[in-house]
Amino acid sequence: MHRGTLGKSNRRAEQGLPLSTNSSVGKMTAQEVRLCGLLLREHFGEVVEKVGTHLLKGGAQNLRTIIHETGISLDLVKKSLCVLVQHGACVFRSGRKGAGSPAEYQTCCDRILRILRYPRYIYTSKTLYGDTGELIIEELLQRGHMTMSGTVKTVADRLTQNMEEGRSMDYSEVSSTFFRLVETHFLQRCPPLAGPEPKDSATPAAPAPPGTPATPVSTAPPTPESFPDCYKVPHVTLVGRGKRQLASEDGEDQRNAKKAKMDSQTHGDEGICWQVNFERFHLHFRDQAIISAVANKLDQTSSEIVRTMLRMSEVTTSPTATCTKPLSANEIFRSLPTSYNIPRPILDQYLTLLIDDPMEFVGKAGESGGGMYVVNMHRALANLARATLESVVQERFGSRSARIFRLLLRKRHLEQKQVEDFAMIPAKEAKDMLYTLLSQNLVQLQEIPKTPDYAPSRTFYLYTVNQLPTARMLLQNCYKTVANLVERRLFESKESKRLLEKSQRIEAILASLQASGAEPEQLTEVEEMITAPEKQQLDALRLHINKLDSAENQVDETIFLLESYINSTASTS
Amino acid sequence: MAGRGGGRGRRMMTFSVEAVGINRGDSLPPSIQQPTPLFPVMEQKPLPLTAGEEEEYLLALKQEFRGAMKSLPCFIQPAAAHRDVERYSDKYHSTEQTDALTDWTPDWKRLPKELRTLQKKEEGQSSEDEEEEGEEKKKKQEEEEAEGEEEYDEEEFEEETDYVMSYFDNGEEFGGDSDDNMDEAIY
Repeated sequence: MHRGTLGKSNRRAEQGLPLSTNSSVGKMTAQEVRLCGLLLREHFGEVVEKVGTHLLKGGAQNLRTIIHETGISLDLVKKSLCVLVQHGACVFRSGRKGAGSPAEYQTCCDRILRILRYPRYIYTSKTLYGDTGELIIEELLQRGHMTMSGTVKTVADRLTQNMEEGRSMDYSEVSSTFFRLVETHFLQRCPPLAGPEPKDSATPAAPAPPGTPATPVSTAPPTPESFPDCYKVPHVTLVGRGKRQLASEDGEDQRNAKKAKMDSQTHGDEGICWQVNFERFHLHFRDQAIISAVANKLDQTSSEIVRTMLRMSEVTTSPTATCTKPLSANEIFRSLPTSYNIPRPILDQYLTLLIDDPMEFVGKAGESGGGMYVVNMHRALANLARATLESVVQERFGSRSARIFRLLLRKRHLEQKQVEDFAMIPAKEAKDMLYTLLSQNLVQLQEIPKTPDYAPSRTFYLYTVNQLPTARMLLQNCYKTVANLVERRLFESKESKRLLEKSQRIEAILASLQASGAEPEQLTEVEEMITAPEKQQLDALRLHINKLDSAENQVDETIFLLESYINSTASTS
Repeated sequence: MAGRGGGRGRRMMTFSVEAVGINRGDSLPPSIQQPTPLFPVMEQKPLPLTAGEEEEYLLALKQEFRGAMKSLPCFIQPAAAHRDVERYSDKYHSTEQTDALTDWTPDWKRLPKELRTLQKKEEGQSSEDEEEEGEEKKKKQEEEEAEGEEEYDEEEFEEETDYVMSYFDNGEEFGGDSDDNMDEAIY
């Protein structure tokens, strides 16, 4: 049956296949590109969106090609590229045609998709390092990358703004929080550009952060961590306190304050830029997910034991390791937090419970030292992803379909009749459910021929579920979901644009009236400029937008889980 | 495309019908004759969103971040649409926009040479523009004006004028009321 005039790329895109098999293009699907475009539009404007999506779809290109194909002016393209490079979304390297060819720019959608997770990074930093940590991470995320002195000054100013009159934040306090963030690897130095300018060098320089596919000519691009100074804090002379920005009517003061900001005091760390280390945050999230899964499945004490084990292995385990280094029960007993006063035999019982649990969070690696135990990270991630898939099937199709799905996950291949028997569901309904799952591509049909001629009457047809491809498909669904949520939110805002602007103007008038000490009658008079039905409309709009935003945050949690699982299998296979 | 047995009356399928579970005499589900509805009825309603202190804080962070990004220099607005006639007040409006653009100077050592635009315009890099010259010229004008000026927040202190900025509003955004405006000649 013909599907009409769907182009080849559309069809491939709908299936979640990469748009281009050109090896210089990172494998990006249409859903990812669409979501990246929306995120760029919301955070950097439409011009950057156009340039960014063009780069995403077209692979590595030089400046002239971009200008020619997007039709945007030279100036704006240059600015957009600056913004994209500043925020790590775009990398540049010398052209492939050898020395002398213009620089090529390439964008990777992974980095842009991280924007969805920014609130979570900021919140985590707040829980770990307080308000100072929160603001440091927020500033760095907003600016892409900054020097340490710049960050410290801006954060100190912002903290001072929120403090009571007469108090201000000292630079040294902010600096010490910065040190701690670097110590625990949450912040890292931006990788220095390797070698001279791309145009001048004889050998192609590859100044690339991780994620760029290796060019065939040069060796693999250096990651920030391949530089020994990655986590070394430079010696910075930074003495002073945060300045409170005076909201006075006197413009003189404002101008002077701005002048002070703009004049460049050297602090000894020019050219050393810092960026947020997303991978470290991801490790933290992964550990949190495992700990809370243990807490939900077993109990609080077991989760504390697992938390202790993970804390002990923080520095000894590499990010891509399948499991932590083996820890002896004696060590674990000594490292438990003092508030958990459990006797040694009880600890052993808890560990045995953890090992026997089918989720396989903890495994036994030997008998020495009272028993050697490891946390199985990859297996835990796989099980968490599996639980996510099962929950998706349950919420979309009902618990009986979920039972069939779980059955197929465990038993791999089953015939129609076997599914009906094992799931204890009548034939007609089981058939219906299986076909629904099949049409949604959650379940696949596998043919096993009995005879070499593949005759239909002499072939086994087995239903099967493959966890990894299904996880990939659901991940693409998640991207599509978030893109839809963003579009709906933009639509809702646009619909009520006039009303929103009116309410903003009225709020501004109210604020200025209050500041100049107006009487209550004047205030109510201004407030009444918004009629009651308009107010209702505004409230409903606010509710919708909050719901959509919150939904984006929560879908991102699922995205993180599925991405971690897929990346963990990719690194081991 | 030739289909085997397509219009011959008997239904034949490439796979064994019994094996997949359709027994003889069972009716096939009705064939689809139009596109599926845009918002199909869901048998299972989705779960409500988790709501708690953490979720609300994350929501507030997200919205604040978005708002903050809009006011940063990296939020690039396309060149303002040309009005039909150049107005006197444009000279005063344009400086507000470009303040943000020139506020930010990236670390040029981390960027390729060809991207340097803001300071080194005179060095002839603009010679390779292929765009409508109007847009280019307007940008140049704006930047020349912005170069020598410091940033102003208070409207009253712009440009040696003693008038409030809204004096120069020619009232186009607010509709009607151009009688009070002294900018344009009233015919």
